[in-house]
Amino acid sequence: MSEEQSQWLRILPSALAEGQGERAFAAIVRSREELSRWLRNPAPGLQWLQIEGLLGDSDAWIEAAHGDSGVPLDVVLADPASEFSDLYRLVDVCSVRSVRVTIRVAPGFSKAAKLAAALRLPIRLLPSQPTAEVLAELNELLEIYLHEPMVEAPVEFFHSLLATMSGAETGSLWSILEEDPAEFRSYDADGRALLPRSGVFGSAETSFEGFVEHHLESLVDRGAECATCPWQRFCSGYFKWPDPTYSCEGVKRLFSRVKAAADEIGRDLAGRVEAKTSAPNLTGSDSL
Amino acid sequence: MSGRVFSVILLPTSECNVACDYCFERKEPHRLSSALLPLLTRRLLDHLENERIEECEIYWQGGEAMIMGPSWFADAGAVMDRAAAQRGRRFVHYLQTNLISYSAAWNDVIREMFNGSLGTSMDYPNLHRKLFKGGAEGYTELWTRRLREAKAAGIQVGVIAVLHQGSLEAGPDRFYRYFTEELGLSDFQVNTPFPGGPAKEVEGGFQLDLTELAQFLVKLFNIWITRGYKSGVSLGPFDALIDHFTGKQARLPCIWKENCSNQFISVDSKGTVAQCDCWVTSYPDYFFGNIFREPDLTRMLKTSRARRDFVERPKRLVEDEDCLSCRYLSICHGGCPVRTYSALGTMMAKDPYCEVYKAVFACAEAHGREILRRDQQGRAPAQSDVGLAQSYAKAR
Repeated sequence: MSEEQSQWLRILPSALAEGQGERAFAAIVRSREELSRWLRNPAPGLQWLQIEGLLGDSDAWIEAAHGDSGVPLDVVLADPASEFSDLYRLVDVCSVRSVRVTIRVAPGFSKAAKLAAALRLPIRLLPSQPTAEVLAELNELLEIYLHEPMVEAPVEFFHSLLATMSGAETGSLWSILEEDPAEFRSYDADGRALLPRSGVFGSAETSFEGFVEHHLESLVDRGAECATCPWQRFCSGYFKWPDPTYSCEGVKRLFSRVKAAADEIGRDLAGRVEAKTSAPNLTGSDSL
Repeated sequence: MSGRVFSVILLPTSECNVACDYCFERKEPHRLSSALLPLLTRRLLDHLENERIEECEIYWQGGEAMIMGPSWFADAGAVMDRAAAQRGRRFVHYLQTNLISYSAAWNDVIREMFNGSLGTSMDYPNLHRKLFKGGAEGYTELWTRRLREAKAAGIQVGVIAVLHQGSLEAGPDRFYRYFTEELGLSDFQVNTPFPGGPAKEVEGGFQLDLTELAQFLVKLFNIWITRGYKSGVSLGPFDALIDHFTGKQARLPCIWKENCSNQFISVDSKGTVAQCDCWVTSYPDYFFGNIFREPDLTRMLKTSRARRDFVERPKRLVEDEDCLSCRYLSICHGGCPVRTYSALGTMMAKDPYCEVYKAVFACAEAHGREILRRDQQGRAPAQSDVGLAQSYAKAR
């Protein structure tokens, strides 16, 4: 498939995004000037702005709180443990446009996730290959996501995982987290396509379109735990990248908790349906 | 144009015609000049334009707003609304008054400018709202008469009640019956007291035991749910909390906003700008500037050092207090800056009513869950609807 015919969405540094015209793309902005430029004059193909390193700049958000263009924002927290309280700067912004918070999962990330949830902001967690410390935080956050009524907006990947466990078709974790290069392709400043989470450029040998399938096949061929993993279809080796030797034990326990919650919900809902259908009909033809 | 709404608590005078014990305002014989109103309007419209905001809510308060007279308001409303329309903006006016000066002469302006409604205040029992001559008893008698006259004229009246020790001693049942049965109101709200303004000897008398206060509010909440919720009685802030906990759009009071500095300011008759009426009447160190002397309100708000504390407060609270671990953070955000400042001398702390709020939130959550459970009976969600499934899981 040629670049012109491609269906994937390009995620490009701001300067490279100029001239994309109507082709679907997201622009990465890292300065107040870049943010202002895209808010004032968005190209037709612009899907959203991926904002990096600007959360602490209060002036940057003043223009974003004006709803002239309505361009959605994806605000990335690279260091969530130290940046989390700056999420309050987005309060005005999210009243005029869609704002999502992307949180790179690292120690202390749950502070940002809790505050973003309290501000009713949709969250995308990028878990990469979580350490034991971070897995503990993920479990704590999952508990909040599942049971606290204060969490109203979706927390990905929990939300789609729960949907999958409840029988919905959501696609793979790569796709949900917008890291499948067949659908979302990131480029560096020189226009070279990058493999996800690796900083490695795609090569002729690497098929971006079949990256996820190839990765999973390779893991299974090598005898990785994916071969027998019950969550293989949803995960597709997400947690075995870039290090294929990463142990998924903690992740699998997390998935099992979501599965248990989904099963419990399913049982309760089925019980309700059953109770409803077996209830006596007090208003129908019996009364004739 | 953004969907944001900006609000201004506008004090056309600091004068007042009554003498309430707990009033924190400096009562000065000063009134907003009609000659300055176009300038004030222009400054507000400039700000709305700068911020791409279409609608501005004007909350007319005092002092006592009715001291200005109905014809002053009719003229002021016309001047402001005409100027706003010329610039593609809109003012929506609200009136908060003690009702003491109300007469039929107000009816036209209340209907036309204030959409036929007004807000007023009364406590139960009334011990502290007093006429200069006639005391609390005279105040209650006169206010009740004015309330009945206004209602007879078809005006919708909402009442704010500030709780005090006498309210707690009377108990929530008598309190509720007073407003709903004796006064026949279907719209009132309860506020917690705070010792605003310069130090006064009487302040100590308004500090309530927080446990007693929480118990009172929870019982009042239960009474309202049982007798008023389904019968069209609106009791704030409980009604907004029920909206929130049943998944409806909720308009929570300003004390629980993410950041009140984003949403409103107060301007007094001299043009002083501050965060809200409590600050503009009480704390000169926290004035943002003067709207008549400074040509650009947007710039004033952006550069004011005093305002920075308000902007930064929620950030500081999630960093320094235990708010981040509170399950009610999303509907509280550390509470009210002025309640905090007047009690502790700093606003960089959480609201001293924290535990009271938590008790009320927990009560609202339990009622909300029960209402949802009842509403969901007989409705079978689709298995694949994860949003509904998630809501259901939380309602259990």
